[in-house]
Amino acid sequence: MKFVLGIAAGKGGVGKSSLTVNLAWCLKKMGRSVGIMDADVYGPSIRKMLPEDTLPFNREEKIIPAEKKGIKSISMAYFLKEEEQAVIVRAPIANGIIKQFFHSVEWGNLDCLLIDFPPGTGDIQLTLMQEGSLSGGIVITTPQEVALQDVSKAIALFHQMQVPVLGLVENMSYFQDPLSERRYYPLGKGGGLRLCHKEGIPFLGEIPLDENISRCCDEGISLLDGPQENKSIQAFEAIAKDIWEQLVSFEKLEGNYLKKIHLLWK
Amino acid sequence: MFIRKIFQKDQYRFTIEWTDGKISDYRLSDLQRQCTCAQCRDEKTGQPLVNPDSIDDRVQAVRIVNVGRYALRIDFTKGCSKGIYSFSLLRTLV
Repeated sequence: MKFVLGIAAGKGGVGKSSLTVNLAWCLKKMGRSVGIMDADVYGPSIRKMLPEDTLPFNREEKIIPAEKKGIKSISMAYFLKEEEQAVIVRAPIANGIIKQFFHSVEWGNLDCLLIDFPPGTGDIQLTLMQEGSLSGGIVITTPQEVALQDVSKAIALFHQMQVPVLGLVENMSYFQDPLSERRYYPLGKGGGLRLCHKEGIPFLGEIPLDENISRCCDEGISLLDGPQENKSIQAFEAIAKDIWEQLVSFEKLEGNYLKKIHLLWK
Repeated sequence: MFIRKIFQKDQYRFTIEWTDGKISDYRLSDLQRQCTCAQCRDEKTGQPLVNPDSIDDRVQAVRIVNVGRYALRIDFTKGCSKGIYSFSLLRTLV
């Protein structure tokens, strides 16, 4: 695995999973091999957004991940009897599931594994940080103050675990009237950019409120297959290109440090 | 700061070469005395809860692994192995 990227937010419902899936589509279009780990054990949504061509299956001791048009994925959703079934387990069980996602899934030789974090800064997030050597993290928020306040905590989590924050994505930034092309800012304007200035992290871009994004996610199809002049496609593609360049340059800057340490005493 | 190399120096010590070129030696018993887990250290005062003399100077390791990209975990042959040794703590110890 070349790079492992965490996608986090302080809050639920700001668009982590849709960003994860759309970044995967963009990276794939750029010619990279991509996988998605849906780490939201209690509320998995990746399977809905990326319905599989092939289901995950067991091979010897390993789990072969699900696949959709070359994008590999694993999610708690594959282990439920029904889509609506609730996952009601305590933290140690949830952490065990995350560890299995890292160590028992045969990810193969991926260019990039995207981890869709559950919202917040709790036990599972710590496990993700400790089990996976994350190359970088990105955070996503909507522009209103109450969401910005919480995303700062996700930024602090990455900082504390020495994971470089590649930047912040502002989702649902504006709505553009298709007739007049005038932009409206129902959730406030510029909140994400202001937070980036305050935290000293890059602003990766703004994603508009666009029915195409939610429709494609609900139907499990790629937004990128739609009309290319769509502003949302351009936004996602610019973000994917930016993070890829950052990951590559980080790797060069950091030089040859050990990503995995396993020293057996003699 | 990250680790470029890590190797066993002798029965009781290991060596880390950091990415800035600094080379540090650690004795396992010294690290076990620094264990930061909730049973070995008072959460509020940071004072050790275990008598440092009770830790065997000849304690060895089974294995040393990374925790994410910020710390090491050491499986000791005896005593507490629950501590997470952050790179920043390791840097302050030498």
